[in-house]
Amino acid sequence: MTTATDTRTRTIKIKIKRCDGPGKPAYWQTFSVPVKRGEGANVISCLQYIAANPITDGGVATTPVAWKSGCLEEVCGACTMVINGKVRQSCSCLMDSACPNEGDTLTLEPMRKFPVIRDLFVDRTRLFESLKRVKAWVPIDNLWEQGAGPKETPDEQQTRYKLSECMSCGCCMDACPQFHQIADSAKWQTAFIGAAPISQVRYFNLHKTGATLKADRLSEMASQGGVSDCGNAQNCVKHCPKSIPLTESIAAVGRATTIHAIKQFFTGK
Amino acid sequence: MSESANTAQPAVPAPFLLRRLHSLAGIIPIGAFLCIHLTTNASIVWGRLGHGGVETFQHEVNFIHSTPFLLLIEVFGLWLPIGFHAVLGFYYAFTGSSNVAHYGYGANWRYTLQRLTGYFGFIFILYHVATLRWGWTWLPFASGFDAHTAASSTAQAIQGGADTSALGGFLIGALYLIGVLALIYHLANGLWTAAITWGLTISAGAQRRWGFVCSGAGLALAALGVMAFVGFVTLDLEAARQTESRLHSEIVNADTPQIAPAVAENNTTTNQSER
Repeated sequence: MTTATDTRTRTIKIKIKRCDGPGKPAYWQTFSVPVKRGEGANVISCLQYIAANPITDGGVATTPVAWKSGCLEEVCGACTMVINGKVRQSCSCLMDSACPNEGDTLTLEPMRKFPVIRDLFVDRTRLFESLKRVKAWVPIDNLWEQGAGPKETPDEQQTRYKLSECMSCGCCMDACPQFHQIADSAKWQTAFIGAAPISQVRYFNLHKTGATLKADRLSEMASQGGVSDCGNAQNCVKHCPKSIPLTESIAAVGRATTIHAIKQFFTGK
Repeated sequence: MSESANTAQPAVPAPFLLRRLHSLAGIIPIGAFLCIHLTTNASIVWGRLGHGGVETFQHEVNFIHSTPFLLLIEVFGLWLPIGFHAVLGFYYAFTGSSNVAHYGYGANWRYTLQRLTGYFGFIFILYHVATLRWGWTWLPFASGFDAHTAASSTAQAIQGGADTSALGGFLIGALYLIGVLALIYHLANGLWTAAITWGLTISAGAQRRWGFVCSGAGLALAALGVMAFVGFVTLDLEAARQTESRLHSEIVNADTPQIAPAVAENNTTTNQSER
């Protein structure tokens, strides 16, 4: 495929862990993809090339590789996958830095902690269920006009702004040794919830109106699979694409849950 | 069950309570005891600077053995908390699956090591307590502990027990050195994670600073542990036994005037009642 006349073009290898459907066995295929330097090629553009030319390195015609992507600017989390063994967004993985030389290989795998639907496409329903589990919303619905909300200080706003950047991509969970893939959705309620929803507990409890549900959130954090199941391996904070201080959130929620439990112990509620 | 669960929910959820008690037990009493234990053991070396390690260590052991309710303290202050911490610890460790192969970061290695040192440390504690406290000398390379010959019997155990071959000494010596260092790591790293778990260190800076404190404490404890280990491994058993025999006779002689009449009296009354 390489045109020898253009010195800016190089051929790289993309090795992909494929799967034809839920429960089907995984298998590996390698594709050769021509890439031009300086054109901003990323994993998604390479996958688009493969979709248009679904022929393996060995010359075998195959099915196009399935994947999911959305914003292409690292704010939606849809294209999250395991690249060279580590979880991240594929849109922000640029080939000029990841595979700078002729013949470099990039390995793509689906996320490890979410069930595969097909190839690199995973089902992350559990993320949404986790947010529901911790009531990650501000309760403002009512039958009459509530008036203006409580005032927020710039300091609180700054703290919450960083936490608000979470896009529920699941990187923190995929890198976590305490978080596991669970097929049975009934067991999600008692399995370790992961860093992102714990950080959302902090986020919504810091909000003055959101704090009306504080006790509910902290009770969930004290239950099976809550904040106590964290093992402090701290991979989450290393792999958060938004650099959210997840380990600080875990400690802050740990403190709030400790205080909440002591209150419960003495008051019974 | 379901009816009562609706009306009377536990004030504090059991999983949370167990996690926090597990964390607490690791620090008090187990961690606190480890500090005391290592300090006592290091006296075998400390004493050499003064009037003899064997004498100092014997003095420490005599003090411990003069504690009232010692067996109750051991059972409820040590063996049950260690059993509780170990059983829950094994269960919690099995809920995780280490991924250092993919994510080989420092904190992730510490997470994995915390679990490995827990497994190894528990096996070591079992062997250590079974041989030296419960007298299970049928265990391989084992010999027991005698409070009257504290230093020499401890040294003999660490030097390979009744087995005088180089193999026994090497295996048991390695078990003790690695076991003690593993448990010290487990405590130091456990102090670091407990501060996050309980919510004492929240900011990344606070966690880093507390990490220095825990590392310092761990290194200090490791120094004590290595001192004690070297002291017992290099102890001359014969010389130690002679010192202990002298100490024992000194104590018996000093006590004789007070104790002898009472013993004699008791004996006569028993004898009379028997007649």
